[in-house]
Amino acid sequence: MSFLLKCPNCGERSVYEFRFGGEVRQRPSPEATAEAFLTYALYKRNVAGVQWEWWYHRGGCGEWFKANRNTLTNEVHETTL
Amino acid sequence: MDPILFQWNGSSVPAEPGDSVASALYRSGVRTFSHSYQYGRPRGLLCLNGSCPNCMVNVDGVPNVRSCTIPARSGMKVLSQNQNVYRGLDSPAVKCYPEAPALSESEHHYEHAYLPFEIVVVGGGQRGLEAALAAASQGKQVALLEKEPGLGGYLPNPVAQKLVAEVQDHPGITVFVNSSCFGLYEGNLLGVVRIDHGRPHAETLLHLRAGSIVLATGAYETQFLFANNDLPGIMLSTAVLRLLHQHAIVPGKRAVLIGEPDRCAAMQPHLTAAGIEVVASLPVDSVVGASGEGHVAAVVTETVTYEADLVVMCGPLVPDVGLLAQARTPLRWTPENGAFLAEALPPAVSIVGSAAGEGIHNPAYLLPPSSQSPDAIACLCMDVSGQDVADTIDAGMGHIELIKRFTKLGKSACQGRMCLMATVHLCGQVTGQTIAQVGTTVARPPAPPVALGVLAGMRHHPVRRTPMHEEHDRLGAVWMDMGEWKRPRYYDPSNTGQQDACVEQEYRAVRERAGIIDVSTLGKIEVKGSDAGRLLDLVFTHKFSTLPIGRVRYSVLCDELGTIVDDGTISRMEEQRYFLTTTTGNADFVQQWLEWWAAAAAMDVTITNLTAGLASMNLAGPLARGVLAQLTECDLSSAAFPYMDWRQSSVAGVPATMMRIGFVGEMGWEIVAAAEYGSHLWQQVLQAGAAVNLRPFGVETQRVLRLEKKHVIVGVDTDALSNPYEAGMAWVAKLDKADFIGRAALARMKQNPLERTLVGFELEGTVAPPDGSPILIAGKPVGYATSVRFSWEKQKVIGMAWVTPAEAMPGTQITLRSDAVDYSASVVDDIFYDPAGQRLKM
Repeated sequence: MSFLLKCPNCGERSVYEFRFGGEVRQRPSPEATAEAFLTYALYKRNVAGVQWEWWYHRGGCGEWFKANRNTLTNEVHETTL
Repeated sequence: MDPILFQWNGSSVPAEPGDSVASALYRSGVRTFSHSYQYGRPRGLLCLNGSCPNCMVNVDGVPNVRSCTIPARSGMKVLSQNQNVYRGLDSPAVKCYPEAPALSESEHHYEHAYLPFEIVVVGGGQRGLEAALAAASQGKQVALLEKEPGLGGYLPNPVAQKLVAEVQDHPGITVFVNSSCFGLYEGNLLGVVRIDHGRPHAETLLHLRAGSIVLATGAYETQFLFANNDLPGIMLSTAVLRLLHQHAIVPGKRAVLIGEPDRCAAMQPHLTAAGIEVVASLPVDSVVGASGEGHVAAVVTETVTYEADLVVMCGPLVPDVGLLAQARTPLRWTPENGAFLAEALPPAVSIVGSAAGEGIHNPAYLLPPSSQSPDAIACLCMDVSGQDVADTIDAGMGHIELIKRFTKLGKSACQGRMCLMATVHLCGQVTGQTIAQVGTTVARPPAPPVALGVLAGMRHHPVRRTPMHEEHDRLGAVWMDMGEWKRPRYYDPSNTGQQDACVEQEYRAVRERAGIIDVSTLGKIEVKGSDAGRLLDLVFTHKFSTLPIGRVRYSVLCDELGTIVDDGTISRMEEQRYFLTTTTGNADFVQQWLEWWAAAAAMDVTITNLTAGLASMNLAGPLARGVLAQLTECDLSSAAFPYMDWRQSSVAGVPATMMRIGFVGEMGWEIVAAAEYGSHLWQQVLQAGAAVNLRPFGVETQRVLRLEKKHVIVGVDTDALSNPYEAGMAWVAKLDKADFIGRAALARMKQNPLERTLVGFELEGTVAPPDGSPILIAGKPVGYATSVRFSWEKQKVIGMAWVTPAEAMPGTQITLRSDAVDYSASVVDDIFYDPAGQRLKM
């Protein structure tokens, strides 16, 4: 893990400046069942390929943003707020 | 200049300027540098360029230092390794390792540096120098890495010397010598260990981020396989050239050359010029073996025995593509070069010179039958013989990766540099495959090996001090660490060393008069914006959008599984502005948690972590009101300023916020002001309280006070699985609220029986077993105690503990065990002090 990640505010930085925040997922609506919430909380898709995920620029601007990354190659295709 | 003298196994050895430890030892007559790991075979100089394991020594307590790579320095203590390996006929090898120094005694300085360059050239030979100059002439910022102390290669080379001068004068080129590159990682990051020979025991890990990389890593020579090929006195031709030309050492009198005729012919004049008699030049397949006791004395062929004290192996030259191989670049056998070369290059990486195969022409060669003998050592690091390799193939493991895994060949210090090519040839010969079919093994960083200390870097201990730190010091604080923070555990102004007595005095002050504690370490976060209330409604279990301005509310933050993550107070300062406190260790986490939920729902909020900018202190006790009234005009009566309200006012002449809250169970105010006013406020409160003998109190006293109130400390009394129901805090699960994080899980939990529960207990006597002591029922563990303290209120030891619901009934007898001593306790339901909470609201 030594790839570069482009923070939407600060530009391209070493991934060590960032905290990983997991897959981007939709939280169930408040009316959803407990099962839906537990699935949301416990089961990740764990994609082997391209996914949208959260990153936090801990060593920089302190912004949460989304990155489109290939989990197999660590190629980052896009980052956005 | 003073002569260089260092210690070798206790005796003094001189060195010439420019000597490495290895060359100085060789010059003074040392021929056996180490003994092999498995069989204790004597080993001498082989490669002299840091590629082989033979000259590894212990330098000043650091094991496995390749002595050919480190300059001799006065005062070094050098020990040979594995000297005590003993191998009898049936005895197991007995190894004796030098005692490792304690970590705190280590003299080593390990540092990390992070440097970006437009171009990094790896290798300071002629082609590397050319590449660096070419890039720098285009105005690029260039780094040039060389693992050896000097640039330009080891052979006299006027062209290279001219380039060296140009490179050293060029402002755009930064030269790093004594710098080994051990890995090429994604994002063009190079890991480099730089040894600073000017500073003893200093090593730096350079993280070089390169726009593009030029590999000019050259080629290294590798050994042949025949019986006793590992005897001291058998060297690679490049090592002999280094001894002759770098160190002016003549390594023998009578030499046998082994290798291809043209390589031997090219080597011969160097030896002859040094006065070494060349008695034979032999192709490797004619060699039956070498012989000698502890040092080579002869080379034997089918027909002749050649007496010699030096055997020069003109071995195959291996293009050094290690960095690419580690980066998973596919390698391909190229017959015209007789070498594995990179098939395709990663983006922004290029390769030049002999690393790219330039000038490398290793003809195909055959190994002699003795290459399969137990005395033909393929892997010098692990003592894997040619016979071991042949047996492994015979046992059905003919794949080169299986040979590596089964024999450990290629997995140790030299990372296959000396063994792999010979083994690939042997495998091809035994299995009848071509070299291309045999292939090579997967390489992984780091190579060369890196000391763990270098990777770990310096020992950083960041320390955070509160704005009142020096006040506490003056008052005799006994410090404790809480995360990065320093907090007074208690105050011992007369330096008695009696913790219990000091804590009791502080305790009595708070319960009977007044006390003050520094709580600046608590996280302090401001949340403002039109969605501030909505965000807090979502993140905390309680509702905050309806909290009136001027009020404070305690709440808990759960995750989606209903687990308690943190707790704190939330004050509504304005319609769209709230002020939160968090536990000491969780300020950053809570901030990021709030920001994440705000980002995910695109809320209009601004979240600011104010922890470092504010000082806060808690003034508590039955006489606290009278103390504070001397410092502020604010009406402190319960009618005007009730429990769980906040007010802003001038306190001791500075703007401050007062929150009427009570963690310790007494009437009290948390006073928050700018950090710059912290010391002033603290002093003023102490002065105002002097008349009632107010005392500052520390964390230890606070722990007793809050335990009497059964106030849970998140992270002390709760763990990573605790939920509000089992923690006895069902009241925080506001299930009537339509939505909050963890609500679904908590609603489900409420219907299920508890698996465990946090209870209070009392035990007779004054001795408190430590926090964390296991709870036993009939000798079986059912849980553990989270907090155990002596209570002056109860005049006995009290505590909280996790137990199974069967033991939660008041009066149940439980046993705490610590250091084989059992303590009998009984479960109690009541809060130990002021169960009705009247003292908070006086």
